[in-house]
Parts: sequence; C-alpha cells; structure tokens
Amino acid sequence: MTDFRALLENLAKAGVQFIVVGGAAATAHGSARLTADLDIVYQRSPDNLRRLVRALEQFHPYPRGAPPGLPFLWDERTVSNGLNFTLVTGLGDLDLLGEITGGGGYDRLLPYSVVLRVFGSECRCLDLERLIQVKRAAGRPKDLEAIAELEAILEERAGSAPEP
Amino acid sequence: MPAFEPDPVIEAYKKDIDRTLIRENLRLTVEQRFEKLMALQRFAEELRRAGRAARQTK
Repeated sequence: MTDFRALLENLAKAGVQFIVVGGAAATAHGSARLTADLDIVYQRSPDNLRRLVRALEQFHPYPRGAPPGLPFLWDERTVSNGLNFTLVTGLGDLDLLGEITGGGGYDRLLPYSVVLRVFGSECRCLDLERLIQVKRAAGRPKDLEAIAELEAILEERAGSAPEP
Repeated sequence: MPAFEPDPVIEAYKKDIDRTLIRENLRLTVEQRFEKLMALQRFAEELRRAGRAARQTK
C-alpha cells in the first residue's frame, strides 16, 4: 500500500519542487479509480535533486520489480544520470518522472498546475485539462476509461453533464 | 462547447462512467479523496490476502 499522505508530506516539507500527475492527480480531481502509486514530475535543478534525494533517502528507494542486491545507489548522481525512476520505498510505490509524454518536464507543466493544500502541506498538481491532454497524448489503451472518467469530471464541474 | 474534441472511443467509454461516484467525490475535500483512495487500497489488499489464504487451504 502506498502512503500518499506521508510521501506528499515528506516531499513538501523538504521543499522539493514537484507536480503530482497520473492516477494520484486524477484522485485529487475527484476520480473514483484505484491507483497504486504516486507519480510526480520533479524539477531537475541540482538544488532540487539534492532536496529530493534527502527527502527520500530514509525510505530506501529501490527500483521496483528489480531483483534484490543490485548496486543501486540513491544519490544525486544517480538521479542526475537518469530521468524517470519507478521505485519502491518504505512508504510505497513512487514514480519519479523527469518528463512525461505530451507534457514535457516540470518547467513546461508548471503553468498548468494548481496548488493543493493537502495533509497540512502545499503541493502542486497537474490541472484537470492538462491531465486529460497528456493522457490523450500518451495514447495507451489502458487509459481510455480513465480519460473518459476525467472528461466526465470536467463536465460535472462545468455543470454540462448530459442528462441521464 | 466541449473542452476537447470528442473522441468516439472515449465517448463510448463515458457512457459507462458512474457519475454518482464522481458527484460524491466532488463533494469531498482533496484530503478526503486521498483518504478514500488509501482505504480502498487497504480493502483491495485485504481481498488479495483472503484470496491467497483461500487458495492455500483448498
């Protein structure tokens, strides 16, 4: 199980610049679908990588699904040399994304994010319209139902839902 | 005017979306939505555990 509360709290308190995307962003916007992990797009400045590494090191991030015992070192160099990481941590599954299909990296997504006050901290979340756009751009068959639900949420919020 | 160009495949999926669940969620705070997700995760995990136990005692 992923402890969304603890993950968001730790990242926010450490001052990490990130935007919640994926299923957790959909939850924040009102989705009823089950999602297993927290997906975030993180800013790749050296200062932010340092904050990110420090915020997570106590939870021992490790590549998800990889056999145990790999020489995986959680440090700034590792994060700097990579881009997207699917990790398991002591707080659950966490995907760290340097970029997402159809959306780019943190700086490009920032104007399309909203600030959420959640669990006593503030964190950024991709707005509903851009979340739909990036899911449409990804073109994954498994996302079709999720996109349909997100568009329905948009209609409900706008009060333009079709009559049952 | 729709915010997105309607996609016939997505529109087909949309017919099966439970809008009562969406309306219920939209009445919650963001924090409550995450609490609900974590409760759902715990429930799913409990079902998986019970399934495993049932298979072992078969």
